[in-house]
Amino acid sequence: MATSEEILEALADYQVQCNNNARLRRMQRDWSRLLHFSAEDTGDWFTMNVINGEITFCKAGAEGTPDIIVTARSEDLCDMFWGDLNPSQKYLQGEIRVKANQEDVVRLDAITMIIWPDV
Amino acid sequence: MADSMEIKKKVLADFSEFINPMKVRTLKSAGIDFIEEKRSGACSWDITGKRFIDCQTGSGIMNVGRHNPEIVAALKEALDTYDIGVFLLCSRQKAELAKKLAEITPGSLKCSIFGTGGGEAVDAAIKIARGYSMKTEIIYTKNAYHGHTGFALSAIGRDSYKEPFEPLMPGFVMVPFGDASAIRSAVNKNTAAVILETIQGEGGINIPPDGYLAEVRKICDEKEVLLILDEIQTGFGRTGKMFACEHWDVVPDIMTVAKSLGGGIYPISATIFKEEIGDFFVPHPFVHLSTFGGSDLGCIVAMAAIDYIIKNNLAEHAEKMGQRFRAGFDRLLKEYPRLLLEVRQKGLMMGLQYTNESIGPRMTLKFAERGVLAVYTGNDPSICRLMPPLVITPQEVDEVLNVLEDSMKELSGEKGIGRND
Repeated sequence: MATSEEILEALADYQVQCNNNARLRRMQRDWSRLLHFSAEDTGDWFTMNVINGEITFCKAGAEGTPDIIVTARSEDLCDMFWGDLNPSQKYLQGEIRVKANQEDVVRLDAITMIIWPDV
Repeated sequence: MADSMEIKKKVLADFSEFINPMKVRTLKSAGIDFIEEKRSGACSWDITGKRFIDCQTGSGIMNVGRHNPEIVAALKEALDTYDIGVFLLCSRQKAELAKKLAEITPGSLKCSIFGTGGGEAVDAAIKIARGYSMKTEIIYTKNAYHGHTGFALSAIGRDSYKEPFEPLMPGFVMVPFGDASAIRSAVNKNTAAVILETIQGEGGINIPPDGYLAEVRKICDEKEVLLILDEIQTGFGRTGKMFACEHWDVVPDIMTVAKSLGGGIYPISATIFKEEIGDFFVPHPFVHLSTFGGSDLGCIVAMAAIDYIIKNNLAEHAEKMGQRFRAGFDRLLKEYPRLLLEVRQKGLMMGLQYTNESIGPRMTLKFAERGVLAVYTGNDPSICRLMPPLVITPQEVDEVLNVLEDSMKELSGEKGIGRND
């Protein structure tokens, strides 16, 4: 189980990785979404805002009306944001669930592929 | 012979009734209502047995020659194991062909997507340019020809092809070909790409002035606009280099190829682009698909065609045969100044500029009577396009030149041929 603080720390690192990746920023510049992450085992929620490919904030709590909702165990969320697990694999195993249109699901996978090509 | 004449009549009648009567009428009047039967090397035979040297080649499909036995064998062998393949899946054949294209194209062109024809390749190029740049305007040139599909049609520089189908795609801006300053003036913040044929084919074998392509490349770099070069007619050795842009050391961001990629045997095209442009497809892996594009069979045929072109130095041969043609053209220019105004040529991409538009159709008829298929260009009937297979022999070059000379001699005695007649 991961605490809210640990997930926020992983999210902060993820934000830096994404925003500093020029290739990803160029690729995602047409993508603006509000994402909610739900840690199903702890009941914690997190919000991430992406505007034109830039992650503008990550914070605790569910803020606004999301375009995408990702639900997983807290530890999987933490590992995912640190780049320690392959979210596609977990998604296909049903351990990460994504409520979004199919194009956005592919986008999330594409982001992972660019910032952690070896995962 | 009697039987074959009957078959020919029947074919033309059926074609007329079930496909297009006006096409039959037009081809008949030009003397080129051939029904092809046997094909080999630079030649094809009408169903009645009449042989002709093919200088039309579907505007450049047959660089490796008609019914090339090595390409046919590659397809036959492939058919023992493969079919078209499932387009959704990755395929060995696609991967191998894409790698080969990356090796033979200039500069850092690397990634490919496949289609079935040139128009589809151009459509893909424009979609990629818009998708990658997130800008919409496309600059194209007067008299350009890029195909008859949606985006490609919008970039054709001839109104008669477009007007019956308007409204076409918005955001297309036409400029004169060969004038880099016109491109500079037309570029704005919303310009996604400039699309050019490296040498205009349908427009009349318009060879760009030296420095033009380099200047366009410079403008595109300065303004962050993509350069798309259409090498559909000019590619695969046609002009004496593997790709025509190599004559001017210009590398596009996106290149379209088709026609001779299929070895005259199987329809296939490719849109080849720099790796960074391919990032557009990372978040959109299924945004552009083609059921039959880059089929396993097509890729095998394309690999065989490319290997044949390289193994037999067809680009070099095209340059040599082009020079042989040029010596003959120079004679004709001197002897028939009332008929022939100039010659436009790069390797075996050749155009004869007649002194007026009526000469094109009349010469096509005279060539056909003498066993040469050579037709005026669609966008300019005063230009005769000559694009024989690159495997043409010196003897066949001389035969074509003799036919040109005999035809000109005959036509020069007729009315309505001079510039002012």
